[in-house]
Amino acid sequence: MRLRMMLAGACVTVSLAAQVTDRQLHEANSANWLTYNGSYDSRRHSALNQVSVSTVDTLVAKWVFHVPNATALQTVPIVLDGVMYVTQPNEIYAIDARTGRQIWDYHRVPARQKGPNRGVAIWRDKVYFTTPDAFLVALNAASGNVVWETKLAEASDGYWSPAAPMIVNGKVIAGSAPGDHGLNGFLDAYDATTGERLWRFNPIPKPGEPGSETWAGESWKAGGGNTWLTGSYDPELNLLYWGIGNPAPDFNGDVRKGDNLYTESVVALDPDTGRLKWYFQFTPHDVMDWDAVEVPVLVDAMYEGKPRKLMAHADRNGFYYLLDRVTGKFLHGTPFVKQLNWASGLTAAGRPILVPGVEPSLLGTKVCPAAIGAANWMSPAYSPETGLFYVVAQEGCGIANKSTETFRPGGFQYRATGDVEVRDDSWKVYVRALDLTTGKLKWEQERVGSTGFGGGLLSTAGGLLFSGELNGEFVALEAKTGKALWHFYTGQRITASPITYSVNGKQFVTIAAGSDIMSFGLLK
Amino acid sequence: MKLSLIVALVGAGWLAAQSPKPSNPLGDAPAVAEAGRLLYNRSCTSCHGPDGGEGARGPALDFAGRRYFRVSEAAIFDVVKNGIAGTAMPASGLPDTDVWGIVAFVRNIRATASDLVVPGDERNGMAVFTGVGGCTKCHMIRGQGGVLGPDLSSIGAQASLNRLRDSLTKQRAIPNGYRPVTVTTLKGEVFRGVARNSDAFSLQLLDESGKLRLFEMSELRSAVFAKESLMPYGFDKTLNKTQFQDLLAMLSRQTRTKVKPTLQGENEVGR
Repeated sequence: MRLRMMLAGACVTVSLAAQVTDRQLHEANSANWLTYNGSYDSRRHSALNQVSVSTVDTLVAKWVFHVPNATALQTVPIVLDGVMYVTQPNEIYAIDARTGRQIWDYHRVPARQKGPNRGVAIWRDKVYFTTPDAFLVALNAASGNVVWETKLAEASDGYWSPAAPMIVNGKVIAGSAPGDHGLNGFLDAYDATTGERLWRFNPIPKPGEPGSETWAGESWKAGGGNTWLTGSYDPELNLLYWGIGNPAPDFNGDVRKGDNLYTESVVALDPDTGRLKWYFQFTPHDVMDWDAVEVPVLVDAMYEGKPRKLMAHADRNGFYYLLDRVTGKFLHGTPFVKQLNWASGLTAAGRPILVPGVEPSLLGTKVCPAAIGAANWMSPAYSPETGLFYVVAQEGCGIANKSTETFRPGGFQYRATGDVEVRDDSWKVYVRALDLTTGKLKWEQERVGSTGFGGGLLSTAGGLLFSGELNGEFVALEAKTGKALWHFYTGQRITASPITYSVNGKQFVTIAAGSDIMSFGLLK
Repeated sequence: MKLSLIVALVGAGWLAAQSPKPSNPLGDAPAVAEAGRLLYNRSCTSCHGPDGGEGARGPALDFAGRRYFRVSEAAIFDVVKNGIAGTAMPASGLPDTDVWGIVAFVRNIRATASDLVVPGDERNGMAVFTGVGGCTKCHMIRGQGGVLGPDLSSIGAQASLNRLRDSLTKQRAIPNGYRPVTVTTLKGEVFRGVARNSDAFSLQLLDESGKLRLFEMSELRSAVFAKESLMPYGFDKTLNKTQFQDLLAMLSRQTRTKVKPTLQGENEVGR
């Protein structure tokens, strides 16, 4: 009774809980994993080195957290001061990152079934995630209480939101899906304290706006261009970089003649206003559903003898690109897969040189890469220690068809057909290490037995590259050589990207595998 | 005029189609349920117990852990009027008006609070919640308040009115994840709060300042769990009658998320 009285008196409404400051987000302290790709520059490189080339042989499973009713988790855990946040559609779990024990859970009711969900964002005392019914929800990070929720778009129109939001200077940046339903996408900023919308960037320009001339007739109305993966941010330039998805209908471009801006582009936005500073379009007038949402990785490095602010991007279309991220100028591009037949190269400005006839047709045409792409949502990594850019690369082709389809509102597919993947011996998945500036292949490691991409990559100062394979193997590769040094069979398909963090001086490496979150640390 | 009449009729028909049917002809005023309670206590208690709470020969009618098949007004009316063949439940033999009164009472004790018309001023209730009641020290409604106790933004859609009233007036069991605990670390630091989770090896504490503190048991000298909830009670005595009723009414209307479908069991009779 005395305890109760004391506590009741002591409860306070002002939370003094662990809080993420803007500074922490900018500096990306290695003990925590605070953003989808670990830091604003999206390198997925951690300074932690306890688990290293010389100690990784004693890496063992520390705990497993089962996410009820999950199947193929894509969540990237966020960790702050020993508390981990993982998601699946409609749900968040806060977990003790040292023991795997649950602290709280949130279940959205009623739950619209639509997935995946890729994770939360964290800022001050709140966590944020988006939902299958296209809401942005802010919750108290210590208790899971919902503080506010804001509707992004109409779920009944077919909108939803799978990407982890990003916090930039007190704003929650959140995007939309899908692009395959002819719904025009958006990228929004919301006040992280109140949930009020501050700006909206429309990737499909309206008539009269710059870029609208790249859409024939009224095709812009069902143009697609969604934002279903998290982007990157440069605090010094104060520029937000975000990849934009495919134009619609995906496989028949006849009804949307033109370059179809800003689909298949990376856009650089002023995060204060949402205004477009520059864009670079990887696949003008795409007809293969090659969403350009793959993570833009920001690196400062020497290029042609000068220090440059670079952006590295391995696109679903099969080319690796290096851009000047101040101006958007194309610097260099080269294929990172061998099976690429739709373009013979890139012009000096970075525009693909098309091979005539290699595009979807009524009878079917072999197009490489397949529509699933040479790269996809699984995150790449960059190590400043090796100077290598690491990417999960898929070799493979598809027989691509097109048809005539009419847009129907309400969230129906508007793809005008697709491709049949050619699953012959050439269909293979690799982890590839590319020289940052030249894109030249330094080493590759085949994901033997994987029939698809699998999970993404994590680079660490321990000289390791962690890689989650679709066949269930969680692997540590030597970052310099690609040699497999350690592996753990998780028993489930891995479709998420790994992270690392430390609690009380002990490093953990964690990945979502199938329906479980698995965390590893050194034996002693 | 004619057109608007048609529109009005069509509109009324549409509304009727949307409402639960058939509804209690006596209405849903609290007085109806109260009159029904008196009728119930006159006719039904020998089996089901006073106020439907617990009976010698029939099941309790407001037990939260039991799944009831007869949930809709029509289903309850049917069973009170006609009984259940092959069981000890007899036809009541009461006039329909009395049966509907009992239906109102049974619905009342089973429904979530938000299903009922709870008299009281919601705005005053919120003032009590944030003011003299001291509830926001630990509870939150729609983002406002503390985090040590459960969020109450949807409590009206989750709890029955009886449970709400009991929570405010009686000492109740500690909900999962809210057991008060005082831990002392090996270094001698003392932290108090609620154990959101714990087992033999670790303890996840939400401390009194709203900060999570996560321990392995090997780091603790002691973890002393309290036997009573932090939730104060006796609000029917510490608040005046109006304040208490307004607080109850406000809580009954907190339905940010409708957790329970209100028409569950509609048309399910006699299973």
